[in-house]
Amino acid sequence: MEATFLLTLLITFLASFIGYELISKIPQTLHTPLMSGSNAISGITLIAAILIYPEVRESQILQIIVLIAISFATLNIVGGFSVTGRILEMFKKND
Amino acid sequence: MIEIILLISAVLFIFALKLFGRPSTAHRANLFAMLAMALAVFSAFNFDFSKYDSAFYITIVISGLLGVLISKRVQMTQMPELVGLFNGFGGGASGAIAYVELSNSSLPFNDYFVAIFSMVIGMFTFSGSLVAVMKLRGKLNNFSSKFANIFSVFLPVIIFIPAVLEMDNFVIEFIILVALITGIIRVAVIGGADMPVVIAFLNSLSGIAAMSAGFIVNSIILIVAGALVGASGIILTLLMCAAMNRTLLDVLKGGFGNTTINNEYEKDPISTSPEDVAIQLSYAESVVIVPGYGMAVAQAQAAVKELTNTLKDKNIEVKFAIHPVAGRMPGHMNVLLAEVDIDYEDMFTLEDINSDFSSTDVVLVLGANDVVNPLARTDEDSPIYGMPILDVDLARQVIVIKRSMSPGYAGIANPLFINDNAKMLFTDAKEGLENIIKSFELV
Repeated sequence: MEATFLLTLLITFLASFIGYELISKIPQTLHTPLMSGSNAISGITLIAAILIYPEVRESQILQIIVLIAISFATLNIVGGFSVTGRILEMFKKND
Repeated sequence: MIEIILLISAVLFIFALKLFGRPSTAHRANLFAMLAMALAVFSAFNFDFSKYDSAFYITIVISGLLGVLISKRVQMTQMPELVGLFNGFGGGASGAIAYVELSNSSLPFNDYFVAIFSMVIGMFTFSGSLVAVMKLRGKLNNFSSKFANIFSVFLPVIIFIPAVLEMDNFVIEFIILVALITGIIRVAVIGGADMPVVIAFLNSLSGIAAMSAGFIVNSIILIVAGALVGASGIILTLLMCAAMNRTLLDVLKGGFGNTTINNEYEKDPISTSPEDVAIQLSYAESVVIVPGYGMAVAQAQAAVKELTNTLKDKNIEVKFAIHPVAGRMPGHMNVLLAEVDIDYEDMFTLEDINSDFSSTDVVLVLGANDVVNPLARTDEDSPIYGMPILDVDLARQVIVIKRSMSPGYAGIANPLFINDNAKMLFTDAKEGLENIIKSFELV
C-alpha cells in the first residue's frame, strides 16, 4: 500500500478523528479494557519490524535490535489481547 | 490481494473500537481487534515466508508464549502494572525500529525527521512506562520535581553536547539516551495517584510512536491503527485530567501534594466499631459504597461482594459510586468489582450518583480520601479546589474505613472525617469489612 504523503496525512487525520469520536462515548466501566485493548493494538508496530527485518541482513547488531523489537511488539500484542480477554470475561459473566 | 486484506483489517480495527463502547459487546471487540491484528501481521509477510530465518520465527513464538503466560498469571489488582509494562514494550519496539531505519537506510529528508520523532516518543514511552511500573509496585519514591524541572530547562542545551564534543557519529545514540532519561525523570516526579493520567498518556504515546513508524515503512494499516490508539489514549488522558480539574501539563510537572499545607484537625473524629456499623447498615434502606485505592491495596473486593450480598438479602439497596480517578488506572475500581461479579449496572459514575447522596442512608467510604474531600467545593485556596468530588458528606451517615487520619495524595486534611454525620472505622479495608460481616451474623 503506497500513497502520496498528503493522502497519508489525510488518512492519519481521519483515523484519529474516528478514534476520537468512537471512544468519546465509552462508559467509565470499560476504561480499563479499552486501554488494555488499545495498548495491544499499539503492538502493531510488529509490522514495521517484519518489513525491515530482511533489509538488515548485513549488520548483525541491527538484526539483533530488530529481533528485540519483534520480541517486545509480540509480547505487547499477545499479552495485551490475552489480558483484555481476561478482563472482558469478567464483564461478560454478569451480563 | 494484500490491499484487500489490509482494508478488511483497517475496517475491523474501527469496528472493534466501536464495539468496545458497550459492556455487552466489548468481548466481541477484543476478538475483532485480534482478527484485524492477525490479518495485518499476515499481510506484512506478503506471502513470502521464506525471507525469514529461524531466529525470527523462534523470537515470535517464544515472545508470544511468554505474553500469554504473563497475562494468565497476573492478578487483577496488578493490572495497572501489567498494562504499563506492555505499553512500554510497544513504545520500545517502535523506538528500536526507528533507530534501525535511521542507521540502516538513507532515508528521504521527510522520513528522517519522522524517524527521529518516532524514536524519541518510543524511547520516552519505554523508559517512562518502566518507571511507572516500578512506582505502581511501590519500589520507587517520589523524585524531587525541582531537579526534573532544571533538567527540562537545560534540555535544549544538552542536545547540543554531541556537536560541541564533535561526536557526530553518535548523535542518534545520544538522542536515544536523552529520550530515555527524560522518560525516567518525567514519570519519576509524578505521584502515585496521578498514575491514571500517566498510564493513559503513555498509552497514547505508544500509539503515536507506532503511527510514525508507519510513516517510515510506508504502511497505511500501521498508521491507521497507531492513530486510533493515539486518539483513544488522548481522550482517556483528558478525561482523567478533567476529573482532577488539572491540566495535563500540570500533572506532568509533578510534585503535586508534596507541599504539606494545613492537615491539622480542629477536633477528634468519632470512632466506631464493626458492630455499630453492622447495626447502622441493617437499619438503612439505601447504601452507597465508595471504593478507592485502599480497597485495591487491601485486596478487599471479595469482602465487598460478601457485604453486598448480605445487604441485598436484607432488601437494602446497594450502589457503588466510582470516581473517574479512583485507583491507579482509568476504570481500575470497575475491573476489581467486576472480578467479584458485582453487576456493572450497580456501578455509578460521579455525574450519575451525586444527586442521590442527599437521600442515601449510609455511605461506606473504602480507602478513598481526596475524591470525597468537601474542601474541593468550599476552600478556594485548597490544591484540590474545583475538582469534581463525590458529595458523600450530604448523606445521612458516612462511615469511613481507613487505617489512620493520614492525608491522601493531595497532602491535605479531609474535614469529612470530623463531620457530625461521619464516623471512622480505623482498620484496613478487608479486615474492617470482614468484621462487619461477622457482626451481621450476631445482629
